[in-house]
Amino acid sequence: MPLYRSLAQFARKPRREPGFLREGRFADSHVAQMCSRALNTRRLGPSRVFVTGVGVVSSIGLGRAAFFEALEAGASGISPVGSFDASPLGRLYAGEVKSFDARDHTTQGEQRRMGRCAAMALAAARMAVDDAEIDAGALAGPRTAVVVGTTMGEARILAELEYEWIVRGPQAITRALIPRYGSTLLPIHVARAVGAQGMVLALPAACAAGNYAISFAADLIRSGRADVVVTGAAEILQELQFSGFVRLAAMAPERCQPFDLNRQGLLLGEGAGMLILESEAHAARRGVRPQAEVREYGLSCDAYHITRPHPDAAGSIVAMRGAIERSGLTPADIDFVNAHGTGTKANDLAEAKVMRDVFGDRRVPISSMKSMLGHCMGAASALEAIGCIFTLETGLYPPTIGYDTPDPECDVDVVANKARRGKSDVVLNNSLAFGGYNAVTLFAKPGVLPPPLPRPRRPARPPAVGPSA
Amino acid sequence: MTPYVVTGLGVASAIGIGREAFFDAVHAGVRATELVEGQRPETFDPSAYMPLPANARVAEVRGFDAAKYLGDKGLRSLDRLTKLLVVAARLALHDARLKKDGAWASGPDGKASGPGPAETGMVVSNAYGSLEAITELDRVAVLEDARYINPSRFPLTVSNSAAGYVSIWEDLRALNVSVSDGNCGALDAVAAADAMLENGRAEALLVGGAEAMSEALFLAFHRLGAGGGAAQAPGAQGTVQACIGEGSALLVLEEPASAANRGAPALAEVIGYGTSFRAPERDAALVHPSPEAMQRAVEDALADAGVEARAVDLVVSGLSGLRGFDDAELKALGRVLGEDTAVVAPKMGLGETLGAGGAIGMATAIALLRLSPGPVAPPYLVRGGLRAAVRTVLVTSLGYYGNASALVMRAAAS
Repeated sequence: MPLYRSLAQFARKPRREPGFLREGRFADSHVAQMCSRALNTRRLGPSRVFVTGVGVVSSIGLGRAAFFEALEAGASGISPVGSFDASPLGRLYAGEVKSFDARDHTTQGEQRRMGRCAAMALAAARMAVDDAEIDAGALAGPRTAVVVGTTMGEARILAELEYEWIVRGPQAITRALIPRYGSTLLPIHVARAVGAQGMVLALPAACAAGNYAISFAADLIRSGRADVVVTGAAEILQELQFSGFVRLAAMAPERCQPFDLNRQGLLLGEGAGMLILESEAHAARRGVRPQAEVREYGLSCDAYHITRPHPDAAGSIVAMRGAIERSGLTPADIDFVNAHGTGTKANDLAEAKVMRDVFGDRRVPISSMKSMLGHCMGAASALEAIGCIFTLETGLYPPTIGYDTPDPECDVDVVANKARRGKSDVVLNNSLAFGGYNAVTLFAKPGVLPPPLPRPRRPARPPAVGPSA
Repeated sequence: MTPYVVTGLGVASAIGIGREAFFDAVHAGVRATELVEGQRPETFDPSAYMPLPANARVAEVRGFDAAKYLGDKGLRSLDRLTKLLVVAARLALHDARLKKDGAWASGPDGKASGPGPAETGMVVSNAYGSLEAITELDRVAVLEDARYINPSRFPLTVSNSAAGYVSIWEDLRALNVSVSDGNCGALDAVAAADAMLENGRAEALLVGGAEAMSEALFLAFHRLGAGGGAAQAPGAQGTVQACIGEGSALLVLEEPASAANRGAPALAEVIGYGTSFRAPERDAALVHPSPEAMQRAVEDALADAGVEARAVDLVVSGLSGLRGFDDAELKALGRVLGEDTAVVAPKMGLGETLGAGGAIGMATAIALLRLSPGPVAPPYLVRGGLRAAVRTVLVTSLGYYGNASALVMRAAAS
């Protein structure tokens, strides 16, 4: 391959090429092309993306310290639902966050304009900012973006509006409540609080929303569109969603037991996990110690069924392999997998298949935090990402609690009931979602991986017509 | 951003379904927002609001029959939002020649001639999800019993459901990303697509947005005094209401080399993006227009494209008839581009389509770019007049909460 071709393949494309290179009579000149190439090479060597702070609102603890302690202890956040009467539905349990009071984390003005979901996202974001020890001045401005994932956003506000409408008629709707509904608002409220002036975006990607948000946030930094991104996901427990899962016959009566032979389904949960992502240069400038490197991610879509994972798990396998290969690693480098592990028959079988397919005979430890938290929907993979940070920092794999009887069809090395110590340099966060979405992110201990690969380009497809090269 | 070519366009809009029908309607300045005597909304029963205010109406995709494009099978479990999006996706994939007669295109040797299912994905914007399905289930839960809600309709309540269904119907196995940023979302979808294509996560992406009409949507704007009015002339004196609309538009974006490889002609190019957010000065405010955010988004988009302000031939704006927002957007455009740059407002003809708004804006921009070389008399004109040529178009959107996004498109290199 000629040198210029390989250079061109490595070169990342320019963001701000001066107009004269693209337009006007110089556009096709040799000089313009050389200038373009020189500009391209400026972006050789993509930046690393670091996690420098985390914030947690969860049923097993608020804030990093409490959350990490609970993960180590294998605490359960499951309790009878208190926010609505679930008894007619025949199911009572969920991972409700009973210790969260918006008044502890938000101003009066904020409470007036936001619902519980945004309040959780904002509380977690504030904790993450504190954890990152980043001062307001360094955070405010156009180089800070906010990307938040969710499934239903402010579902309770919508339920309230609908209740007024259905029971009392269109004129009874509380006007002030209307603009407070919409997933869009989650990042808006966070951006207001931290002074971000860059991109504000909600990513509704169902149960993989956290991974989607974190991955896209990392891309924003890699492509130079932001220096800092406040990212993560939030979800609240809500009656319609609860009823829906009962009606889909997917909900367990009392315990969520991922990978167990006698698992009976999922339990719902709620919470928010937020992270501060920073470019390597930005983190270095303020002399902060990175907590983890967000290395790469893999995405795919099953294109099979709206709620069930593909039994072949082909899409999920593509996503996991993608995350590993794009990181410049092999499956042998992976120390631990933080599972999606919902506790449904279909999900856990599919996930075990992925593990066998990607890792072969090597039994990589896997564990599902949903045994402790329930399935926090959009927030799940964000909280699990913070679980990955826990593993990288402490060298402990969080346990899958309630794991009594191994399922021979789920032949994986489950971290059963007690946290386990083991090598933890590189970990994967696996997620699957409604719509056949698959998303896997790869986190590494800072400093253990070589610099990231140049932009991984797909090999050029041979031209369909004309002479071959 | 990396310049991308648009190789296909699929539209299901209030003024036409399919690229050619849409282009013709745009060129003619057709208005689905105008009141037609005796016409009632098709998507919901408006009797509760009777008599409707004299000028109230909604811009629906009237007579929309998804079966005509998708066949009869399997449509029953889908809601209107999903049908609008699947139809736009199918039309776009065929328009881009990625598919032919429902199958992925292949060369004379039977091998794939371009991106196939594993290399094709989508990034789609939607603001409010399926309010239709949520309302339907809530009605059952409130008036009857939550135990009776229909489980086959439940997945529709999840915000990314429509996009998930498109992946199944059209067999798209690369990434599938949903974004939500009110009426700016579809422009932001291009930024997300840029990140995905730039990093080689897909070869071709369907990018755009969709929003469906429902009684809940109409009611929300109606109660706020912000919708239900006819958007006769956004930006004009006296308008304070938008006309709520619906529709879907998806563009197929590819890197120029990918399109050239398979010999796909380009309809237009997307060359720059900018976005910005500003908190309101008053802490109690939630909904607020920010001319500063709009100005910064436009400046960033122009810088990103490497285009000077004076090179912009036309602005396809997001003006919708909401007075405060229209004024802020025009003010920002005036500051960056000067007062005499032509500004059009497709929402005059199609209504405020929220999550689809930016996508319909991009589709309108392509329709107008296709009119040049030669002079263009822009439809839906708010400011300015006849243009000698339209080669570079700015597409803008001003959000309800202090956010704004802008995109630069230009004519395809011939």
